[in-house]
Amino acid sequence: MKVVYDWLKEFVDVPVSAEELASRLALTGTNIGGVENGPHGAVIDAEVTSNRPDCLGHLGIAREVSAIYKTALKKLPSTTGKLEPAVGGDALQKVRVDIQAPELCGRFTARVIRGVKIQPSPQWLKERLEACGVASINNVVDVSNYVMLELGHPLHSFDYDKIRDQRIVVRRASAQEKTRTLDGVERVLDAGTAVVCDGDGSRVVGIGGIMGGADTEISFATKNVLIECAWFDPIAIRRAARALRLHTEASTRFGRGADPEMAGAASRRSAELILQVAGGELQNGAVDEYPGKQAARKIRVTRTEFLRVMGADVSDKELEATLGALGFAPVRIDDHRGAAGSLLAAWECAQPSWRADVEREIDLIEEIARIHGLDKFPPRLPAARAGAVRLPHFEAEARLRERLIGLGYREILTIPHVAEERDELFRPSGVAPARLANPLSEEAGVLRSTGTVSMAASLEWNLNHSQRNARLFEIGRQYRLVGEESVETRVLSIGATGEAREQGLYDGARDFTFADLKGDLDAIGMLAGGFRWEAKASDGGNHAEPEWLNPAKRGHIFLGKEDLGVAGQLSRRVADKLKLRQEVFLAELALGPFYCAYYGTKNARRYEPLPRFPAVERDFSLLLPEGVHFSAVAEAIRALAIREIAAVEAGDLFRGRNVPAGKYSLLARVKFQSHEGTLTDAQIGEFSAKIVAALTTQLGAQLRASV
Amino acid sequence: MKSIETSISKKLSELGVADAEGLAPLFAEVRACFDAELAVASDEGSWKLFRDAWLGRKAGVLALITDNWLKPASPELKRVVGAALNELRGHVEAKIEERRVAIELGAESSAAARDAVDLSLPGVVRPIGSRHLVRQVFQEIEDIFVSIGFSVVEGPEIETPYYNFEALNIPEHHPVRDDMDTFYLELPKGAASPLLLRTHTSPVQIRTMEKMQPPVRVIVPGKVYRRDNPDATHSFAFHQIEGLAVDTDITFCDFTGTIEYFVRQFFGASVKTRFRPSYFPFTEPSVEFDVSCPFCGGSGTAASGGVCGKCKGAGWIELFGAGMVDPAVYGFVNYDAKKVSGFAFGIGIDRLAMLKYGIDDIQVFFQNDVRFLRQFP
Ligand SMILES: [Zn+2]
Repeated sequence: MKVVYDWLKEFVDVPVSAEELASRLALTGTNIGGVENGPHGAVIDAEVTSNRPDCLGHLGIAREVSAIYKTALKKLPSTTGKLEPAVGGDALQKVRVDIQAPELCGRFTARVIRGVKIQPSPQWLKERLEACGVASINNVVDVSNYVMLELGHPLHSFDYDKIRDQRIVVRRASAQEKTRTLDGVERVLDAGTAVVCDGDGSRVVGIGGIMGGADTEISFATKNVLIECAWFDPIAIRRAARALRLHTEASTRFGRGADPEMAGAASRRSAELILQVAGGELQNGAVDEYPGKQAARKIRVTRTEFLRVMGADVSDKELEATLGALGFAPVRIDDHRGAAGSLLAAWECAQPSWRADVEREIDLIEEIARIHGLDKFPPRLPAARAGAVRLPHFEAEARLRERLIGLGYREILTIPHVAEERDELFRPSGVAPARLANPLSEEAGVLRSTGTVSMAASLEWNLNHSQRNARLFEIGRQYRLVGEESVETRVLSIGATGEAREQGLYDGARDFTFADLKGDLDAIGMLAGGFRWEAKASDGGNHAEPEWLNPAKRGHIFLGKEDLGVAGQLSRRVADKLKLRQEVFLAELALGPFYCAYYGTKNARRYEPLPRFPAVERDFSLLLPEGVHFSAVAEAIRALAIREIAAVEAGDLFRGRNVPAGKYSLLARVKFQSHEGTLTDAQIGEFSAKIVAALTTQLGAQLRASV
Repeated sequence: MKSIETSISKKLSELGVADAEGLAPLFAEVRACFDAELAVASDEGSWKLFRDAWLGRKAGVLALITDNWLKPASPELKRVVGAALNELRGHVEAKIEERRVAIELGAESSAAARDAVDLSLPGVVRPIGSRHLVRQVFQEIEDIFVSIGFSVVEGPEIETPYYNFEALNIPEHHPVRDDMDTFYLELPKGAASPLLLRTHTSPVQIRTMEKMQPPVRVIVPGKVYRRDNPDATHSFAFHQIEGLAVDTDITFCDFTGTIEYFVRQFFGASVKTRFRPSYFPFTEPSVEFDVSCPFCGGSGTAASGGVCGKCKGAGWIELFGAGMVDPAVYGFVNYDAKKVSGFAFGIGIDRLAMLKYGIDDIQVFFQNDVRFLRQFP
C-alpha cells in the first residue's frame, strides 16, 4: 500500500516529516518498505500485515497516525444534500437489488448517476493514482480506485444501461458456470463463488468482490452509471480468488475483511467525486440491502490482565487515549473509577466495524502496547525453574560426529527432495517412497527414501567441480510411507572417493579402498560395542541385497541381531548412470539402534586389570583354500578354548607368486597372555601344536612356517 | 714438538741439568711448545692425535719426560722434577679436555645448521573432518539456550495440517497460509489426513504442550520447508530453531529479556536490538525482531562510503518473528489461558549463519562443496 503523504494529511495533521512518520509507523506495527520522494511528494511504502485490511486505505493509516501522535482524525469531506436519504429515495425506482446468498454478500449498496461524461480524469486524480501505482483508465473508473485507496473499500461501477431489467441479483455461482471478466478473460467459476447478476439472475455481470464483468463495463459511450459498493465474506473471497487464480486489489481487501459499515460512506464519496469529475445527475438516495448488519461487540480489558501479559504498566490516560483514537471508545466500568492507575481498573470497549481482527482482551492489550512502544517494556531475563535437558541421543550423536571428524569425514547437510529415478537406484524393493503431490520440479519430486541418494549426489557435485578427494558424512533422516503413515528414520550416510592419503612430502598417495571404509566403520562401531559384518542380510532384515553396491565389495553391518545397514563400493551400473568415473564408497546405518547400543555399551563398560605378565605372540603362516575366511580361522582357534589366547589377528595376506592357484596365504597372529604367570616355551609350544592341528584338520590349512 | 724432541729424549744429566734452576727453563720450554701447538687440535681427529702425542702412555711427551727426566734423576732432583711434571700434566690435561668440549660443541652447532628442520615446510597432513557450518550455528544457539534453562526437543518433518496450521490458530483459508506455500505428500486414496512438510518448527510447540504441563521451556532445532523457487536467498528447505516458554508468570518483559540475552551472546555485547509490532496468528502481541546491522555497525553506511548493501541503509537487519503465545493456542492443548502465559520464537538458522559469516548465497549450504566445508573447520 503506497501512502501519499499529502493525501494522508487530508485526514489527519501529521506533526512530523514523512521519513520520521515512516520510522514511527514501523515501530508501531505498520511495516515500512521505504519512503520515496518523487513528483508527487513523499510516498511511504507500507507493507500492511494481513490482519489489518483497514490500513489498505489512507484513512486507516491516518487513524494510526492519530493514535500515535494523539491528534484528532478530520471529518470526511462534506457531502451534498442530494446524497440523502442514505437509504431509499429515487434510487429505489431506478434499481432493485436481491441478495440471494446473504452468507456470501452481507451488504450491497447501489446508487445511480445519469448523464455522466466519460473522459480522461483530471490531472489531480491521475496524479494521485499514479503515486499509488494505479493506472488511470477514465474518470468514473478512476473514482472507484481513488475511493478504494482513500477509504480502503473496493467499489465497482456498471454501465447502468447494460444492466437488464434494472435489477441486480447476488447469488452463488453454479459449478462450472462461465463468465467473461473485464480483463477479457473467460472464467470458469466454482460453485459457491459469489456472483453479481442482472435481470432474472441468469447472466453474471461480475464476480463479487473480485472483478466486474466485461458485458457491463464502463466505456466512453456510457451515459448512466450504477455504483456498487458492497461487502463480501472474506473466506469465500479468498477461496474464490485462489480457485480462479485471480488476485485483485478488491479481492485482497475483501479477502482480508473489509469494513461493512464503510460501504455506505464509500458509496457516497464515490458519487460525490463522479459528479465532480464526470458531471451528471445523481438519483436521490441509495439502495442498501444489509442482511449482514451486526451490532458492535463489547470487549473488556483490565489492568490486571495487561500486567499479567506485558509485565509493565501504561497510564490510564494513555490507555484511554490510544484506544479512543483507534476507535474502541473505552469506558471505565470498575468500582474504582476515581482512582487513577488502580490495579483493578477495567474498561469496556466497542469493536469498531473496521477492526474485525480485534475480538478479545489480548487483542486490545496488543493495541495498547504497540502504540505505547514495545521498547518501553523493560527486558529482563527470567530465572529457570527446571534443569535443561538435551536430546536423548545428544551424547551418542556428539561422540559419533566427533569420531567421524577424527577419521577425516566432513559433515554435510542436504535437501531431502530428490528425483524419483535417482531415489529408485538406492531404494530397497518393497519400500514406498514419500512422493510430493505438488513438487516444484521433477528433480525434487520425492523425499529421499535413503540417505545414500543424497550422499551420492554430494560426491557427484564435488567430482563435477574437480574436487576429486572427498570423505563426507550426513546425520539426517530418510522418509518413507507405510500405508498412509509417514515414517522418518535417523540415518548416518557415509561417502568417500579419491585418495585415502594424498601425495605429500613424506608419504605417497594411496587410493581409498573398501578396507578404509570398513576400518572407519569399525572405529565407529567401537562406540557401540563393535559391528559384525555379514555377506548377506538377515532373514526378514531391513536391508535387502543392495543392488547398487558392487557384489564383490559390500557387506551388511550388524549390531547384535540388529541389521544396521550396508557398506560397499558403488556398483559400476549405478556409477555410470550418475557419470561418476572414479571409485565411490558408500555406507548407510540406522542410527536409532546405534544410539541405543551406545548407551548400553557405555553403561556396561568396566575396567579390565592390566596384565602383570608379558604377552607372547606367535605367527602362523597359513596356506588356505580360497573361500575359507579369516573369521573361520579365528573361530577355529577360539574354539580350542585356550584361556591364554588373548587375541587372534590377521597379519599379512597375499595371493599369487609361489602361492598355488585356489589357495591364498594368510598370516594369523595369535597373542597369548596369562594372568597367573609368565608363559613358558613349553606352554606356547603346546598351544601352537593344538592350533596347527585344528587349522589343518578343520580348515584344510597348510602351515608354511611358524615363527 | 720438533723444538723439544731432542731435549725430552735425553736424560737431565745429558742435558747438563743438575738442579732446580736448570730445570725451570726446560719445563717452560715444554709448556710453551704445548700452548703453541694446542690450536692444531681443531676437530675430533686432530684432537685425538694431539692428545696421544702428549698423553700417550708409551710415546707421549709426558711419558717421555717421565722416562727420561724423572726416573733417572737423583733422589733430590726427582722430587723437583716430579712437582714440575705434575704441574705440567695438570695444565696439559685441563687444556686438552677444554679443547675436547670446544670441539664437540662446535661439531654440534655445525650439525645443527645442517640438520635443522625447515619450519616453513608442512608436517605430515592427516585427513581431518569438519562439522557443517549450519550444525555449528545450531550447536552454538542450543548451548546459549540450554545455559538459560531451555531443553531441546525434536519433532517430525512430515506433519498434519492440524499441527502445522490449525492448532497454531491458522484455520483453513487464513491469509497467512498463502505466505507459507506448502508441500503436500501424495497419499493413497482415502487417507485419513493430508500430510505436509512442516513450514516451520512451530508444530513441535503443540506436540510439546500436549505432552507436558507448564513450566515449559524448550527449543526445537530442525529442517523446515516452503515451496519457494530457489535463489540466492531462498531454499525450499532450510533450518529453524523454535523456542517456547510457558509458565504462570511469563511476561513480555521476560520475552524481550530472553531474546536480547541470546542475541548479545551470539552477536556480541555491542549489538543493538529492537522489537517491532507484527502479526502472526499464533502469537499476540507479535513482533519482528531486528538487530543493528553488524556490517555497518548500524550506521547504514558501508566502509566504502556508499549505502550498506546488507541492511540497504536501514542500519537494522530483520532477524526473526516472535511474540507472546496467542491464548487461542492454549485452547488446543488444554492449558488454561487465564493462568498461563508464554512466548515463542522461530529463528532462521541459515540466514543467521549467512549474516554472521558474510555468505551471500544460501545454496552453498546444500551443495556441500568440500572447498566450502573446509572453510569452517
Ligand atoms: Zn548495514
